[in-house]
Amino acid sequence: MSAPTTSPAAPTVPVALGRPSGNGSQESPTWVRVSGASAIALRLRSGRFGRSFAFGGINLLLTYDDGCRSDCAYCGLARTRPGTYDEKSFIRVEWPLVATDELVARMAAHEERLTRLCISMVTHPRAFRDTVTITEAIRSSVRTPLSVLVAPPTLNRRKLERLADLGVDMIGVGLDAVTEDLFRSLRTEVPAGGAGLSWDKYWSVVSDARDLFGPWKVNCHLLVGLGERDRDLLELITALHDQQVLSYLFCFNPEPDSRLGEREKTPLRRWRRIQLARFLVQERGFRLQDFGFDDEGGLRAILGPPEVVRDAIRSGEPFMTNGCPGEQGEPGCTRPYGSYRPSEPFRDFPFLPNGEDLAVLEAELAVEELLERGRR
Amino acid sequence: MSEDDAVAGPTDDGQLVRVEGFLVRLDLAYEPDGHLWVAPPDGSTGNVRIGLDPLGVETTGTVAHLVVGSVGTRVRRGEPLGSLEAEKFVGPLVAPLTGVIRAVNPALATPRQVVEDPYGTWVAEVLPEAWEEESAQLVRGADRLPAWFADEVRRFRLEGVLAQ
Repeated sequence: MSAPTTSPAAPTVPVALGRPSGNGSQESPTWVRVSGASAIALRLRSGRFGRSFAFGGINLLLTYDDGCRSDCAYCGLARTRPGTYDEKSFIRVEWPLVATDELVARMAAHEERLTRLCISMVTHPRAFRDTVTITEAIRSSVRTPLSVLVAPPTLNRRKLERLADLGVDMIGVGLDAVTEDLFRSLRTEVPAGGAGLSWDKYWSVVSDARDLFGPWKVNCHLLVGLGERDRDLLELITALHDQQVLSYLFCFNPEPDSRLGEREKTPLRRWRRIQLARFLVQERGFRLQDFGFDDEGGLRAILGPPEVVRDAIRSGEPFMTNGCPGEQGEPGCTRPYGSYRPSEPFRDFPFLPNGEDLAVLEAELAVEELLERGRR
Repeated sequence: MSEDDAVAGPTDDGQLVRVEGFLVRLDLAYEPDGHLWVAPPDGSTGNVRIGLDPLGVETTGTVAHLVVGSVGTRVRRGEPLGSLEAEKFVGPLVAPLTGVIRAVNPALATPRQVVEDPYGTWVAEVLPEAWEEESAQLVRGADRLPAWFADEVRRFRLEGVLAQ
């Protein structure tokens, strides 16, 4: 015999994942989506990570048959992106559907290994109500710290208070575009309408959340690579730091068929340098004046103490995923392979980079060039 | 999983058994570390076909890309024959035998086929240099395979890479 000729079907290992029902019944709050990594961690799906590391950050996403009402140019869930909501990816990964009750039961069963939970809202009229329902279900069974990545158009101060009362300890705001002009062009003035997404509304929610949840309990997601300048990013990061609001960086990686689907992904060197600069501001007290920019607003020099910069790089910490912490302050939400393929360099490390990783990172950064310019 | 799934028993053609929910072909040999199957040499060409077994496919996660070296490349047992990328994983396909790659399955352009039909979708044909010697290091034999496969499923469950 030269080769097998039978075609047995692949094994069907029972899992608790949903299947499209066609009757519109698999929606939040009864159903939610979970990230692929979360599905593996909770044994909802088979699979493994490319490198061995502890993983306990579980990400949930609300789900509706008629999808997210927003139409952001870069987003996999955008209203005008081709495909049904069920087929759409979000931050380039598939989000399997799972029954909320089953998910909560699994979280409880695996609670010892979990570090952080996060519910991502979408812009939908039922999003707040359903987030409350899901939060209550989680809090009744699981003690792991819980964040909500909010959809500002669906919220007001009173609703944020309600989330705090329910035991949510951190709030994320997906600002993504770091200037008002970019925000307007990519999120407000869009083909399917802005769905209430406005720069002012987002900042009003950041401000209310900061008041209600306290210092370092609110974070803004900033997407690097939408057309902003390095200076725009550093201005915003330092301004947020002054308000004791965290900046979480995300690396732009085009979602196929989105309106920015043909845009180049952010060059690695630029990304590494922005990661480093954010860390220096947030963890080492650097200010905007510790950085030098060229006429186009590109980062061209670091003027702060070189040894502090080199120590920061050697620590590996600047290049780890920006995410909400676990109960003891350890990395909680690490989103492995969230904005890059497993065969590509880690854009964010879901663990502390090792010596080999650091050697590669240093080459990618070419930081001496920035330090040398800073000395001139 | 039903009780029946956990019991090894022959399927209709006698060459397949179901072990812990997975189909296992008894007429193939298996490379135990990478979970690749290896068919006996073709009578006329001497080539052997190699593919991923269902447990190898399942524990990798959602397969996204499969790449095998070029036709004519010599590969050595234990060294990469190609690579496999899944949603959250990338790693080498380790050659179960030393030999020259004689063909690569064009179906690999659609990795889903490997997932849906792991025994029917070979990944490479290799002309082995030392079939007798190296095939002895593979797991084979209808008396041995079901127990070995069951142990492997239990091991993967303990590692947490199988859905439950």
